[in-house]
Amino acid sequence: MSRLRIGVTLRVVGVLVVMGIAVFPLYWMFVTALSSNADLFAADARLLPDFSELGVFADALADGEALTWLRNSLVIALGTTVLSIGLGIPLGYALSRFSFRGKMLTAVVLLLTQMLPEALMVVPLFALFNRFDLLDSLTGLVLANSAFVLPIVALILKGAIDGIPRELEEAGRVDGARPLTMLLRINVPLIGPSIAAAAVIAFFHAWNEYVFAVTFIYAPETQPASVGIANFIGEVGTPVQTVMAVAFMFTLPAVAFYLFAQKYVVAGMTAGAVKG
Amino acid sequence: MTLLEQRRAPRTEAGRRRSPLGSRWTPYLFLGPAAIFILLFQGVPLAQEVYLSFTRTSLLNPTNSTWVGLENYVDIFGDEDFRRTLRTTFVYVVACVAGSVGAGLLVALLLNRSFRGRGVVRALVTIPWAAPGIAVALIATWMLNPQYGIVNRFLDAVGLGVPGGAILDSSTYALPAILVTTVWQLFPLTSVVLLSALQAVPRDLLEAATMDGAGRWWTFRAVTWQVIKPTVGLLALLMTIWSIRRFELIWLMTKGGPVGSTETLVIDLYAQAFDSKQLGTAAAIGMVGVVISLIVIAGSRLVTRAAEKEGLR
Amino acid sequence: MRTTRVRRAMVAAATAAGLVVTAACGSDSDSSSDSGSDGGVTTLTFAASTFGDPGRGPKLQEWLDEFNASQDEIIVEAASVPYPTFGQTVLTQMGGGEGPDLVRFDMPEFEAASDAGLIAPLDDLVDVEQYDLLEEPDRFMVHDDVRHGVIFEASNYAMFYNADLIPEPPTTYDDFFATAQSLTAGDVFGLAFRQTEAEEAGVWQDIFNYVYGFGGAWSDGENLTINAPENLEGLQAYKDLYDANVIPRGADAATFRRMFAEGKVAMELNNGGYATHLRAESPNLNFSVAPIPFPVRSQGAILAPIVINEASEAKEEAATFIQWALEAENQAALQEILGASSVATATERSPESLQDMPFLTVFDELTETSLPQVVLGFEAQTPDIRKIVVQNVIAALQGDVDLETALDTAQEQATDLVG
Repeated sequence: MSRLRIGVTLRVVGVLVVMGIAVFPLYWMFVTALSSNADLFAADARLLPDFSELGVFADALADGEALTWLRNSLVIALGTTVLSIGLGIPLGYALSRFSFRGKMLTAVVLLLTQMLPEALMVVPLFALFNRFDLLDSLTGLVLANSAFVLPIVALILKGAIDGIPRELEEAGRVDGARPLTMLLRINVPLIGPSIAAAAVIAFFHAWNEYVFAVTFIYAPETQPASVGIANFIGEVGTPVQTVMAVAFMFTLPAVAFYLFAQKYVVAGMTAGAVKG
Repeated sequence: MTLLEQRRAPRTEAGRRRSPLGSRWTPYLFLGPAAIFILLFQGVPLAQEVYLSFTRTSLLNPTNSTWVGLENYVDIFGDEDFRRTLRTTFVYVVACVAGSVGAGLLVALLLNRSFRGRGVVRALVTIPWAAPGIAVALIATWMLNPQYGIVNRFLDAVGLGVPGGAILDSSTYALPAILVTTVWQLFPLTSVVLLSALQAVPRDLLEAATMDGAGRWWTFRAVTWQVIKPTVGLLALLMTIWSIRRFELIWLMTKGGPVGSTETLVIDLYAQAFDSKQLGTAAAIGMVGVVISLIVIAGSRLVTRAAEKEGLR
Repeated sequence: MRTTRVRRAMVAAATAAGLVVTAACGSDSDSSSDSGSDGGVTTLTFAASTFGDPGRGPKLQEWLDEFNASQDEIIVEAASVPYPTFGQTVLTQMGGGEGPDLVRFDMPEFEAASDAGLIAPLDDLVDVEQYDLLEEPDRFMVHDDVRHGVIFEASNYAMFYNADLIPEPPTTYDDFFATAQSLTAGDVFGLAFRQTEAEEAGVWQDIFNYVYGFGGAWSDGENLTINAPENLEGLQAYKDLYDANVIPRGADAATFRRMFAEGKVAMELNNGGYATHLRAESPNLNFSVAPIPFPVRSQGAILAPIVINEASEAKEEAATFIQWALEAENQAALQEILGASSVATATERSPESLQDMPFLTVFDELTETSLPQVVLGFEAQTPDIRKIVVQNVIAALQGDVDLETALDTAQEQATDLVG
């Protein structure tokens, strides 16, 4: 009996430790944002947030710059989500339902793109975007990010469509429905959760993307938050509190979005990871 | 949605007879837009990089390339620094895979019991995966700050302090610090995936093993491990490819320093392209990375196939 | 039959793809950044890392606003590219035939860019004869009789010290070392400088003062002299301070400057631009400035030229802005914003700023002995030489090699590089 109790206690302690490790850095970001200079540079750390310093968030947002960053990030992330899902559904459908010449090649290419580092593609993409006047525009970033996230999205959706019995479509075919209609009427509603998962993955990818953004964007009004925040690592000190306040506001939407869509994401991550 | 299900997916009949879904051009219509898109934004740039890797090209004048054949490749493989970069990449990737899969498995086993609040715990534990890499790099750098970072204060308090506290500024401790940060971000993903794989372990088998008086370790190896093995393998593959590619975290925390101790292939590639402005050398380094990834994937296929044959026999 | 169906389907697919793209992109219409003319108004972008400086950035923006209000044909917009990635971002864009119309460069990038033909020659665009340009910094703006830039900001290096901790500033290196050592206690450090690879450009600026302050030089104008005995002596002094733990090791500039503002760092070698920054951010800090107390009175200077991008489609308009900037009253206003830095022309310091910062004259007196932080004779390769030198010096700080070997290696690698 006592062995069992020790086991249970160990498990509880283990769960608490893991939770602490997972959450602490984000908590610390919050605490740091809410610290006075005196506390920040004191000999001993202050472990609790100082709520009298809440003004730091207002200050960080005051000149509107941080809000512009977050808005741009949101536009890029939503654009990438829409575009990659829009292209990913038909691609996933084709890979799942048809056999055609070049199918193997397509699969290999999708896998190959997973290995290309963004840093490698920056320069040729820069030249390409320059030609099409896509530099310094959110559109350009949407296109670049979609190209990188589309393969994962397509593979997740292919997996989902694989799971739908063909009989459902056979019935549709008898009624004379065309493939596109069947895809939209029969398959898409059934793979809702996987679309949600793929959407979250696409959204995160674009929300976090840094390499393209830092190279392709130079006007302050088109800068996304990833670049704006990285800019804080500067020459003259931006106060650590401001840095952490903005970083926290950048993290919060992603985490909130994740918690909101958690149920789907977990399923999607599983599918994505297993096939990705 | 596991690999097992995918394998069961009915594809044989589709392969044999003509597609039941319209003409033989139909698949290309579905495929077309995405294919054109990927070709334009991945294929074209990749082809350009392959070409660049055989040229000497300056970032300041990228349209003016001189064909140099294999010179860039000869140069990088003759360079002691590049061999160090390869070693660092290897260490980083192996440690990331082992760390993230190992930690993920531990956490998954810990959570693989129903208890009150498990949903909340699982949600909280997976938060690091949702945190943007840039924010993670910033908070990690601040936590590791030599003078005021909480990590150093903690290490000093328990008597394990690094002299001077300069963890990211030490060629000994910088890589481990980056590894811990990476694993912190990855373990939520691996643990969630492994947790769902663990659900597939047949309860009755576990119970039977326990009844027979088998030890926990034995049960784990004989039952649980057999079921989750394919998932572990695929996770390892995924983590490997991602870790070869990882950029922001390392770049923002150390830029590959000090003295190249955290310089992985991608960091080297970026520094060559943008600090040294040598696009040709950078492209060659990138190609080496792509080839390594291809070898990893091909190798993992072979292993999987061998394992399948083993299973059949 | 079949072909028409295929064609129709192809068109449909292309339209669908087009629609998706348009839908995804509909959200940013205001993003065309290039020098675009719209109803007779030309919009120029001006990239400078200083715009991101919390002390001076907003004031510089006001200064730009004054230009924009002074006429109605040109609008200059600030683009704040961050200091750490400034060179690589702007040079990538310019190499690709893109980028901002006006750029404030630091010297190493200025040299690399003008060597690569990315900067528009100014001789036909701006008549500099009519302005009273300061000769010493201005001579670095001209290569082989071609003018590539005009000084936007020139800032000499001096020793900043916390006057509460240090009543009398040290006047010799030994004194400097002893002061740093005696003030280092608890969470206070006697000195701070940059010593991490992540701040390569900053380390280069900092070690420059040690090399030149001990009589050394990176080159004699013809050959590299990275491992000259004077350089070794100067860098040994830098390393001794590092080894003596009188600096907050591993701290980046942003952190240790905040520490200086909090009274946790007693001394720092820095350029004049820092004075304004400190005044704005920490009005109560009692600090002062003295010349760097090294054996030889020779120190670095930040020279920051303003240039016109060769790829700009509005060079005339960009030149109009530079001419405006060079007018006496606008130079005076810029001078006030930049503080202890000087500008392109000789300006009088206002009595108010002299009363506020009496040490401003210290900087002015150093102009004769200050040098831009480039490798003379190898200006265009400065960024590459900088990388080699900084990496080897840091390897020596880390204890991987001794300093003498590190400098020999750097000399060898850099000589290879410049051919």
